[in-house]
Amino acid sequence: MKTRSGIAAALSVVAICAVVGVAVYAAATGAHSDAQTAAATQFTPQATFAGLTPSTGNPELESLNLVHPSPGTIVAAAGPFDDRFVLEDLAFDGGAVSGAVRVTSDVSDVLDLEVLAGFYDADGVLVGSGRFVHHLSEDTTHTEPPIERQEFTIAVPGDVSGRAVAVSIGVPVLVNE
Amino acid sequence: MKRQTSVFTSTTLVTALVASVILTGFGGAALAASADDGNDRARATNVIYLLGDGMGRTHVTAARERYYGAAGKLAMETLPAQGFVSTYAVEKLSGQPGATDFKPNPVTDSASAATAWSSGVKTYNAALGVDAKGMVVPTMMELAKKAGYRTGNVSTAEITDATPAGQMSHALARGCQGPVYSDAACQDLSITGAALPTSDVRVTPIADQIARNGTADVILGGGLSRFDAADETALKGQGYSVLGSITGQSIATKADLAAASGAKVFGLFNKGNLTVEKTKQDNPSSVQAQEPTLSEMTSKAIDLLQKGKNNADKNDRSGKGGQGFYLQIEGALIDKRSHANDAAQTLGEMKAFDDAVAIVKDFAKRDGNTLVIVTADHECAGFNIIEKGTFTNAEAGTPPANVDSGNSANNSTPTRPSNSKDAARSTGIVNGAGAADPKNFGPATFRTPTDAAGVVDGSPDAGLWLTYLSGNHTGADVPVFATGPGSDQLQGTIDNTALFGIVGRALRVV
Repeated sequence: MKTRSGIAAALSVVAICAVVGVAVYAAATGAHSDAQTAAATQFTPQATFAGLTPSTGNPELESLNLVHPSPGTIVAAAGPFDDRFVLEDLAFDGGAVSGAVRVTSDVSDVLDLEVLAGFYDADGVLVGSGRFVHHLSEDTTHTEPPIERQEFTIAVPGDVSGRAVAVSIGVPVLVNE
Repeated sequence: MKRQTSVFTSTTLVTALVASVILTGFGGAALAASADDGNDRARATNVIYLLGDGMGRTHVTAARERYYGAAGKLAMETLPAQGFVSTYAVEKLSGQPGATDFKPNPVTDSASAATAWSSGVKTYNAALGVDAKGMVVPTMMELAKKAGYRTGNVSTAEITDATPAGQMSHALARGCQGPVYSDAACQDLSITGAALPTSDVRVTPIADQIARNGTADVILGGGLSRFDAADETALKGQGYSVLGSITGQSIATKADLAAASGAKVFGLFNKGNLTVEKTKQDNPSSVQAQEPTLSEMTSKAIDLLQKGKNNADKNDRSGKGGQGFYLQIEGALIDKRSHANDAAQTLGEMKAFDDAVAIVKDFAKRDGNTLVIVTADHECAGFNIIEKGTFTNAEAGTPPANVDSGNSANNSTPTRPSNSKDAARSTGIVNGAGAADPKNFGPATFRTPTDAAGVVDGSPDAGLWLTYLSGNHTGADVPVFATGPGSDQLQGTIDNTALFGIVGRALRVV
């Protein structure tokens, strides 16, 4: 009988320890909600995709290689979002190209924008490129109206300085909502 | 014997207590599901989840008054179970509610909210299918698909946008939509410390994930620009009928949708978001007018999922195929036009969304075993109905006067002598006399069904006066309307993460 009492007491201690332990763990780790935890233990989302080659660099535009602007000109290079923006106030002084992308589709936020500049020599051959990157941090406080117009300046890379006489501009990344 | 019984009883009680505490504290959903096993009360054959992006309680009321009059009802308002949903997000690296490192953020974005109902966890704004510490969490649509349900995802936004993507992808940042990877758009070093390899699903462009993971059988919406030729190959390789051409970047049309058939259909009807209904109605000969309405996409999605289910019933050898379907439908442009404080288009999108609700309601009535949930992810822009002829603080030279400030019990705020309109900030009704003034905070007014003949939108005589607090989301609770098995769980106020469990129990996947 004493043994059975001992077993009961031991079971009680083990059980209480289990409850306390789980509670402490949950508090410390921020365990997920009940339903989510149950589901999470049963299923692992697909994490790899057969045939998909992971990206190896920053986004590029093939169209930069397809245009051959004349000296002194700035042309548009085709990209996937050309129906969502217009380029404004483009200028090239030999050292940098500047201008603005004005988003013309829905704008409550421009979350991400990348502008690519291709630089060309006098024969219209692409000799270098540069990039402008805008990323709206989710920590950003909305103190101003949504930005429809994003100004950019992209410098000619140092190794082609003096050779760049024409420019193309394209947009490979645009996320606006 | 008595002693033995006592020992046995005490041991059993302790064990039961432990089990109870564990189940209540950490497995409540499982316990509830077990309880339901007995009467199958919360079990549904199908679940249709409709989401009005940015739709607050006032959006519902304003649309009702605009289209059906003050005494009328929207379709969603006729659903029997009604309540409210809290929507707060959390900061990056926060623990879940109750954890010592829990850090709430009162105002959510669409990504965090989508993750809450899709995966049952609180996360930071911009996160999709990951918790606030960046850990991948399964989505309801993934769980439903794995359990043998047919699945559909319909939106008037880009299909890679936060709400649809919340069911079909896992991303550290909602901007990682594709078609290409970008460090700035996809990585978040504040979560991961160092850049993840680009093979990691959490930085894989959302379009690439959607085209390859087969999570939704029927995918209808916008965002063709996010997908490329390789995506089309991947989709067709899984048996999808692709409407239009991804490779040729030719958008699908409503005619393509009407003719679509098959178990898996992928149709995108705009390179970006779909076009607002008011614009289509005002320009009926435009290319955009050939986009299907949300109602048309909803009807077709139900039809495709039903036919696929019936085919599965006939051919089912796994015992899973005939289980029913899980369909998510988003009216996305309510939010986008609320951000713009465009009340006319906001109301038009509310009507379009409610028309889709009506179709779903009719289907559920015929089916008899479909759980329908209509809710929102957050309120947008502090939409308000003001009394005819009055004005808001935004139009005022000074805020409301504390006229009772002479009473010491009522003078905790500064005394203000008067409240009047500021002529520079209130230059007329914004969809009427004040339309040309970009600095005008005046209200927008709309005719209601009970207004006198001849009263038009933008007139001071119109019965519905609408204003906005801001151009951004607010932290207000949002309404929820429901019908069908288990819908009684949506009475009262719940948190958005609870929607995961309610749907999951209805489908028996959690």
